[in-house]
Amino acid sequence: MALGQVILFIVDLLALFSIYLIINLGLNLQQGITGIPNFGLVLAVAGGAYITASLSTRLAIYLLNVHTNLDPIINNVSVLQLVNPILRSSPWLSTGLLALFLIIGGASGALMGLISSAPAVRLREDYLAITLLAFGEILNVVGTGYDPLIGGPPGTSLPDIFGWAGQYRFYWATLIMFLVAVIIFVYIERLVRTPFGRVLRAIRDNENTARSLGKDITRYRMSSILIGSILCGIAGALWALYSGAVTPSYDRFDYTFLPWLMILLGGIGSNIGTVVGTLVFVTLDELIDYFKYAFAPFLPFNVVWLNYLLLGLLTIFILIYRPEGIVREKWTSVPAAPPPAGEAKPG
Amino acid sequence: MGCVRLVNPVTLPTIISWLTYSSLLSMMALGVTLLYRTTKVANFAHASLVTSGAYVAYSVVVVLHPNPYVGVPLAFALVGGLGLLLFYGVLEPMRRRHSSTVMLMIATLAFDIVLFGVLNILADYLASAYFVPSRNILLSASDFTFLGQPGIFFVAVGVLSLCSVVLYFLLNFTTLGIALRASMENSSLAQAIGVNVTLMLAISWFAAGGLAGVSGALLPMWTLVNPNTGTVLLASMFCASIVGGLDEIYGAVLGGFLLGFVDVVGTSVLASNVGAWIAFYEPAVPLVVLCATLILAPRGLAGFLARRRK
Amino acid sequence: MATMLSVKEVAASFGKLRALDGVTLSVGEGSVTLLIGPNGSGKTTLVNVITGFQRPDGGHVFYGEREITGWSPQRVYRVGITRTFQVPSLFGKLTTIQNLLVADKTNPGESFLKSHIRRLWINHERETVEKASRILQTLGLAEQSDKPVSVLSGGQMKLTELGRALMSDAKLYLLDEPISGVNPTLALEIFARIVSLRKQFGVTFLIIEHRLDIALKYVDYVNVMASGKLIAAGTPTQVVSDSKVIEAYLAR
Repeated sequence: MALGQVILFIVDLLALFSIYLIINLGLNLQQGITGIPNFGLVLAVAGGAYITASLSTRLAIYLLNVHTNLDPIINNVSVLQLVNPILRSSPWLSTGLLALFLIIGGASGALMGLISSAPAVRLREDYLAITLLAFGEILNVVGTGYDPLIGGPPGTSLPDIFGWAGQYRFYWATLIMFLVAVIIFVYIERLVRTPFGRVLRAIRDNENTARSLGKDITRYRMSSILIGSILCGIAGALWALYSGAVTPSYDRFDYTFLPWLMILLGGIGSNIGTVVGTLVFVTLDELIDYFKYAFAPFLPFNVVWLNYLLLGLLTIFILIYRPEGIVREKWTSVPAAPPPAGEAKPG
Repeated sequence: MGCVRLVNPVTLPTIISWLTYSSLLSMMALGVTLLYRTTKVANFAHASLVTSGAYVAYSVVVVLHPNPYVGVPLAFALVGGLGLLLFYGVLEPMRRRHSSTVMLMIATLAFDIVLFGVLNILADYLASAYFVPSRNILLSASDFTFLGQPGIFFVAVGVLSLCSVVLYFLLNFTTLGIALRASMENSSLAQAIGVNVTLMLAISWFAAGGLAGVSGALLPMWTLVNPNTGTVLLASMFCASIVGGLDEIYGAVLGGFLLGFVDVVGTSVLASNVGAWIAFYEPAVPLVVLCATLILAPRGLAGFLARRRK
Repeated sequence: MATMLSVKEVAASFGKLRALDGVTLSVGEGSVTLLIGPNGSGKTTLVNVITGFQRPDGGHVFYGEREITGWSPQRVYRVGITRTFQVPSLFGKLTTIQNLLVADKTNPGESFLKSHIRRLWINHERETVEKASRILQTLGLAEQSDKPVSVLSGGQMKLTELGRALMSDAKLYLLDEPISGVNPTLALEIFARIVSLRKQFGVTFLIIEHRLDIALKYVDYVNVMASGKLIAAGTPTQVVSDSKVIEAYLAR
């Protein structure tokens, strides 16, 4: 394979990896660390994507002082023809808008998190999983039916905020996504090592005991869901901006099932495990995608369905034979006690 | 779900539609509730199990060209077998390793994904080998008519009634049924008194699979079926189970008819009065009903009625 | 001696089974009081009622002068009463010392917002770690400090539970079989520590225990229950020779 192809492959992989890492860290925080089975992640991801998409063109018009009578969603293509040249000429303007859109994505995620938390504070395990699953279905219904949101089934495009980089558009976009993912990883790792993170894990391990120690379970669960949902919202917004467009097709397979598979693979609970699981999965997935047409002659069926079969079977295999995944949870350190009074401090 | 007929509210066709839909939904929900009570697991694979029933029936029609109802018993057996496969092949090994409920649920989700892939492959095969459409399939044209109403109405209600009676008789008057109920109430106690709990579970997975298969086999008589039809209906199935109340098996039937009523009759009434656009939001109906139930009567209709009776 | 805890005519039942049938007893401030009785006499139920894990059908519970009947477990905990459980209820994936650290009631780092600014909580955390380490040392668990509790033995788990209770700086400790599964030497040490804590900080202990050979050496006062009622109370020597007590134990 030519070097160019390899680089393209790696960049593609990194982009997908970054997005999924953010989502999966959000899921791991909820399930792996706090014990909340969120089967409705798609709600926060799609929420981030749709709301950001919906507001993006509108805000772009407003902030860039573009005067037009056209509707930003219905006449989306025409409106963007006015907006994009401005963005393409100014990296700073574009990046500023990017930051704004990410904040909107996070806020949308938070909103979805609030909605999800209503059942989550009252229900447990199976009831909760089913309810969150049902919630997750709802956004695609709204997205398809309510045209002003994202223009119905055909969807809508977003302003080209990476366009200023010309032919290096995808490289820059990937780099930025990767940076966001790294920042989020560092943030979550630190969060889990705080006393706050410790309480989350305690609630997961034994909710009743945590309650009897005076911890406000509701507040902690809500915090966990909110943070996780904000992360998913950011990921949704990022993916929409990277792809340049959204359609109301954010489905359960991509954004609810696959994240679970990835954190299971890597090891539920451990953030490093989440990184490993995401990396392994995305690599495998990309490889299957690139090479599946090579398999096509050998398979008696349309190679498109190969993903479903392989990934479903892989999940079952992991669940039976190695449910702890690759990396085990290990937050065993505590800050050192202060040195006894009277002794010189080291260093 | 393309069968909401936008007519003036509460006319005969709407009632027929409601009763047909609810009968089918109740059969699906019966399976869900049965599995929840025996295995304490929400079976996400029920989606594809139902779709499997539809495609088994359709395959019979395509390959053998007979009456569309002939495939129903085969669907019962085959999909029941799929249920057994899920139990013995996936869940039982996990239960032996003491997997948590959440992991079991994910396993059912994974099985659903695999089955979905298989169904698509089957659909592709039917289309290419028999030159028939295998998506958006609808068999209502081959249905018989009785008293001016589509035959599916009578069959659906009839089959549901039959299943309910059989289930009732089984659970209350046979040794097997009593052992099954014991496993549902308290599996460790049941085990201690000699009930083969694993066998009871296997039976319930076969029965639930069979119910899914039957309801799926009847589905193409009434609405368009695609490989993802079961997935679309999954939320409604779970909703019907929860709304009816997971504490009693018959709750599934209560939930199915209540949800069906709100879904079919309710949407029809709304559409006539508010505007046809509301039909787009019809998939949101189960969710709204679910939320209302969880807030007002968390133990579902059956629990609510049980408490009233006390 | 002031009364730390008193229960008056407390009754409780599980469905038709009457677990507590009008129990009245009191625990003196700063004392180490034992609660004994055959299995099923209602000892754990009494503790459950006192600490809010079960609602009584009747009667009152007083903590000093305050009535705390029917208070929730969190409220009871926050007012200075700590209990342990017969079956240790630990946080399985957390380490031994982390299990103790969670018991701290006032760690600012547990608030989501404050946790972001390390400076706000790191000192408190360090002090809590020191306190927890000392407790673990006394209980002989220092080497297990950084291991997840799921790998500990049953006896070590009980000790961790006790350690967690001791973190709470409570005024009244209700311990449910704190030394079951613990080897005799360590058990004696633990009871000695309990007594010294009482001397050092003036805290009060009410202990349910079956191993009378160890417990009776250290306690001031003994309450005996049988069939949901209090049948005897007094100093260890008095109670051991009480005929009703002997009868209750032999009848089982």
